[in-house]
Amino acid sequence: MSVAVVSPWIIGSGLLQVGLFLLGAPLLVGLMRTVRCRMEGRVGPPIRQPWRELRKLLLKSRSQPEHSTLVFAIAPVVLMATTLVVVWLTPLLSVRVTLSGGSDLFAIVFLLLLGSVSLSLAALDTGTAFGGMGSSRLMTIVALAEPALLVAILALAATVHSSSLATIMLAALHHPIWLVTPQRLLSFSAFVVVVLAESGRLPVDNPATHLELTMIHEALILEYSGPDLALIKLAESIRLTFLLALLANLFFPWGVSFSASGISLLIGTFVLLAKVAVLGVVISAGEVAVAKLRLFRVPELLAGAFMLSILAVLSALVIA
Amino acid sequence: MRSDSLSAALLALTSGLVLLGAAVALWRRTARGIVQALRVQGFALAGTAVILGVQLHVALLLVTGALLIVVKAFFIPFLLRRLVRLDPTGGESDPVVNVPASLVAAVLLTLAAFVATRPLVQVIHGVPITLAPFGFATVLIGFFVLVARRRAVSQMVGLLLIDNGIGLVALLLTTGVPLLVELGGTLDVLLVVVVLRVLATRMHAELGDLDLDALRELHD
Amino acid sequence: MTIVFAAMAISGTLGAFVASASTARHRALVSAFSSAAASGAALVLALYVIRTRHAVHLATTSVLPLGGVDLHLDPLGALFVAVTAVVAIGVAIFSIGYARQHELTRTAAAAFPIFVTSMLFVPSAWNVTTFVFVWEMMALSSLVLVLGEYRRGSSVRSAGLWYAVLTQGGAVVIVLGLAVLAQHSSGQDFTQIAQHTGLIAPWIRGVVFVLLFFAFASKAGAVPLHVWLPKAHAEAPSSVSALMSAAMVNLGIYGILRSANTLLGGGPTWWWTVVIVTGAVSAIYGSIHAATSTDLKRLLAYSTTDNIGLILIAVGTSGLLASSGHRTFAALALFAGLFHLVNHSIFKGTLFLSAGSIQYTTGTRNLDQLGGLFSRMPIASTIFAIGAVAISALPPLGGFVSEWLLLQSLLHGLSSSTTVSVILMPLSVAALALTGGLTAAAFVKAFGVGFLGLPRSSGAAAVKEPPRMMNIGAGALGVVCVVLGAAPMVVIGSLNGAVQAAQSGQLSGVTSRGVALAIRGAHGAFEPTFIALALVAALSMVGALRWALTRRVTPRRSPAWMCGREVQNSRMTYTATSFAEPLQRVFDDVVQPSRDIDVSHRSESRYFVDSVVFGSQDKDVFEGLAFRPLIRLVRETARRSRVIQNGSIHRYLSYGLVALVVILLVAR
Repeated sequence: MSVAVVSPWIIGSGLLQVGLFLLGAPLLVGLMRTVRCRMEGRVGPPIRQPWRELRKLLLKSRSQPEHSTLVFAIAPVVLMATTLVVVWLTPLLSVRVTLSGGSDLFAIVFLLLLGSVSLSLAALDTGTAFGGMGSSRLMTIVALAEPALLVAILALAATVHSSSLATIMLAALHHPIWLVTPQRLLSFSAFVVVVLAESGRLPVDNPATHLELTMIHEALILEYSGPDLALIKLAESIRLTFLLALLANLFFPWGVSFSASGISLLIGTFVLLAKVAVLGVVISAGEVAVAKLRLFRVPELLAGAFMLSILAVLSALVIA
Repeated sequence: MRSDSLSAALLALTSGLVLLGAAVALWRRTARGIVQALRVQGFALAGTAVILGVQLHVALLLVTGALLIVVKAFFIPFLLRRLVRLDPTGGESDPVVNVPASLVAAVLLTLAAFVATRPLVQVIHGVPITLAPFGFATVLIGFFVLVARRRAVSQMVGLLLIDNGIGLVALLLTTGVPLLVELGGTLDVLLVVVVLRVLATRMHAELGDLDLDALRELHD
Repeated sequence: MTIVFAAMAISGTLGAFVASASTARHRALVSAFSSAAASGAALVLALYVIRTRHAVHLATTSVLPLGGVDLHLDPLGALFVAVTAVVAIGVAIFSIGYARQHELTRTAAAAFPIFVTSMLFVPSAWNVTTFVFVWEMMALSSLVLVLGEYRRGSSVRSAGLWYAVLTQGGAVVIVLGLAVLAQHSSGQDFTQIAQHTGLIAPWIRGVVFVLLFFAFASKAGAVPLHVWLPKAHAEAPSSVSALMSAAMVNLGIYGILRSANTLLGGGPTWWWTVVIVTGAVSAIYGSIHAATSTDLKRLLAYSTTDNIGLILIAVGTSGLLASSGHRTFAALALFAGLFHLVNHSIFKGTLFLSAGSIQYTTGTRNLDQLGGLFSRMPIASTIFAIGAVAISALPPLGGFVSEWLLLQSLLHGLSSSTTVSVILMPLSVAALALTGGLTAAAFVKAFGVGFLGLPRSSGAAAVKEPPRMMNIGAGALGVVCVVLGAAPMVVIGSLNGAVQAAQSGQLSGVTSRGVALAIRGAHGAFEPTFIALALVAALSMVGALRWALTRRVTPRRSPAWMCGREVQNSRMTYTATSFAEPLQRVFDDVVQPSRDIDVSHRSESRYFVDSVVFGSQDKDVFEGLAFRPLIRLVRETARRSRVIQNGSIHRYLSYGLVALVVILLVAR
């Protein structure tokens, strides 16, 4: 891979991605909710409901807890900014790399971590028991999901000697056989668990609950309201969509645009939308059948993901 | 050439699935989940046989594959399921070695298997041989399940993991065990499972439990 | 340039003399100024060597017996000198402020410049005598400094004892190892030794390597010889712990590199297996303890063990790859390790100095009793936050870049498929990955619990900013952190020079192309500067958007949701102990905490609970495992040998006589 120059085209396709995710992510959340409702025999809200909620929140005024500081105020901005940077830099629609370094998977992991860290610091900043609880639980999960994610990425990267998403996708497309190697199978399993944990889905956290004591994520953002909460909700939905898109592109890279033409970019866009929607539906359908794990069983789940990803690295070494 | 490399890739995939099944069996706590992992492993093993059969044009391997599906993917899980139903709470709530430690052990055992088979892999060339470590790792993990788990169902699962691992190695190493041998092996294990199941049922009737540690105490 | 050596030595020793002679008011100033001057001179020298890539050499046969002083600073040494100098300058500025409260004793004021100067000389010592001399100076002066606040309690003395035993034990082993090497070559000059080690029998080389490795690793704070580190770093004055943790431990790594690469000229795979396994165990063990400890300085000390472990993994990987012929990737791994070392020095220096500010202002370093510092001392807190972001490998600061390079080097290490690397690489990858998440958790805890929320003690509630000099000293290092993250290309040249010197001329292949770090021979390029810029742009855009949305209405300040209770007090917030509890539970076997719950009842009735105190103290497993039996053995031997000491002077004199006669007869 040569170091790409920053051309208007590349920046443009990056911005297209950002726009797509900004608009589409809440719809994905709406879709997942609807699917779940239908499977449980309820009618459920319309798919665009998350957008309505965001609009309502944007009209409200901000509030900040008494003893909190600047950290509380800037955390939503940091979360959103890291999310946007990640979406902008990652080649999701087209393998024409935005920036060769930007498509680096390890860099993406650390950027996402920055968002989680800022949110959990904000929760501690409120000085309430719930904030501490959510923060402590989130960091425990992140600390254990992180290694599984890094090693799973390494297993994929080991085959092509590069941790660049574009290179991994290109190699997989050039050698379709590589799509079904054991290391990909194992690292896919690990990846799915990590995605569920990082985006706070079942069985790690229940996105539908609002009971302070059982939840992780809601406890973190309990004190936010108005535009701040809107920012967080939007950023969270983009992160979920992004993780699903990453999963889709890493393991099912078909349809990604190769060339710099508008048509192929358009196709790439539709294919990505379809893939992410399918993954979202599958996950929410799976959630109907799964119960939330006890908090202290979650480390076990993540340890399993970690084991699978190490086995994936080992398999990569054996097959090579 | 193309179909060759495709079948090689598929072989790698099914072998990987066998290892994945073993890992999941160690990971999950519910008896139902463990049996499910075993079923996936049965399918993967059968898949290996079928792929090898197609690749090498050995019809008997296809028969082996069919047999493996019937026995390992359906019949044995079915037997185990009924045992699970006998003891509905019977997950591994308190294993001898806790789950995270078992997972570390599984990684180390896999590593050991991969290192131990390296000379073998380096001497004999050919795609199937390079996959033998997956089978060895499965055998070792199966053994570990026997050591580290308490419930009768898990003990059977451990035994079956060992058998599946051996089956995989045998398939890959000889590129197709003679049908008779494979048949013998599979039926042997089937017999063992049936006997164990009877024993477990008796155990449940006598002791009201399927925990192996309950056997330590002598009963009249 | 050789004159600079003299300037460094003079400034250090003169400073020590003047400081010990001056009045209490001026002592700290003289001590700090002379250390900073010596460091400044050393920095100039190091930069000269790095820039010209030529070693500076100075040898005199006078000053020291047995071969005299032999100084020789090559680019590898220069890197360590430069790092030490930068950290020492920051610490020196800080210590001026620190001394306003903790008055320096004469001994401490004298020991400080000597400690700094001897550390600056270690990387340029080029024969055994010189090396042992400066090494011992460093060990002794640091010991004196650790004991600086000995009046505070027995824990300081105990820490000093642990440190003394391990550091002196290490020094003895180093002398032994170097003596064996010197004996096998015709001289004790490092160049001569390097020329002759090829002829030594492999098993002797192996033994010497193991001796030197563990001796230096004990200085670096690697498991299992790390036990002194959490004690000494926690109990020493903060300026000293900063110097020890950010500069002295590096010299342990320097010793390993110098002895294994320069003196022994590389070795077989089993050497590097030892290094990698030690590194991986240190990394995991250190990070788990850092994630669960509640004492701020102890946490930082354990995280030093963790980072040293990562550096050792890189050093070991480099050796392993070099021994199997992958020289480019070997150089890449070493580059990553050295870069992480530089980063670690800077952010750990920042963090220890900030911890010093906290201890100075609040009087405690127990996170459970801190809280709410950010609103009361924003500058000092921001400096700590910078260090915390850097150490957690978060963009856009330095740790992020070096962690990325470490991952890259392991990724390429995976491609050399020898049996040893098949075993070791996945394990190192696992160790590296595990430490990443745990470090983030540890520092969210340190910053979130210690600096945010409500103050949990009267000390924390009443704090103000520390003296300006302390903030300047710590802040200077914080600025370097930011530079290393946003513009890492400024150090690429010096790192490449060091790698070249350590790997007999092999280039690492890491180059800077514009704002990108590119790795030659591999598909890897990375734009830390660009990511930093993108982050800043996105932050300002989102920030502006938020401002535009909310500017019409001023935000409400409302009480936090307390489940209907009216008063929000610090008893309801999470402490560091409670924050770390889930992780402590996950790693129960490693941490082996001793928990005690103390319930006190109201005097009127036992049915009313007055307070419940939950305490949890994590133990160092290795202390019990490896050292307690050893201590028991020493005690026992001491008790037995007491027979020959009956208190009679005549008997003691007779021992002397007998010994004299025996020596005369034997040495005849």
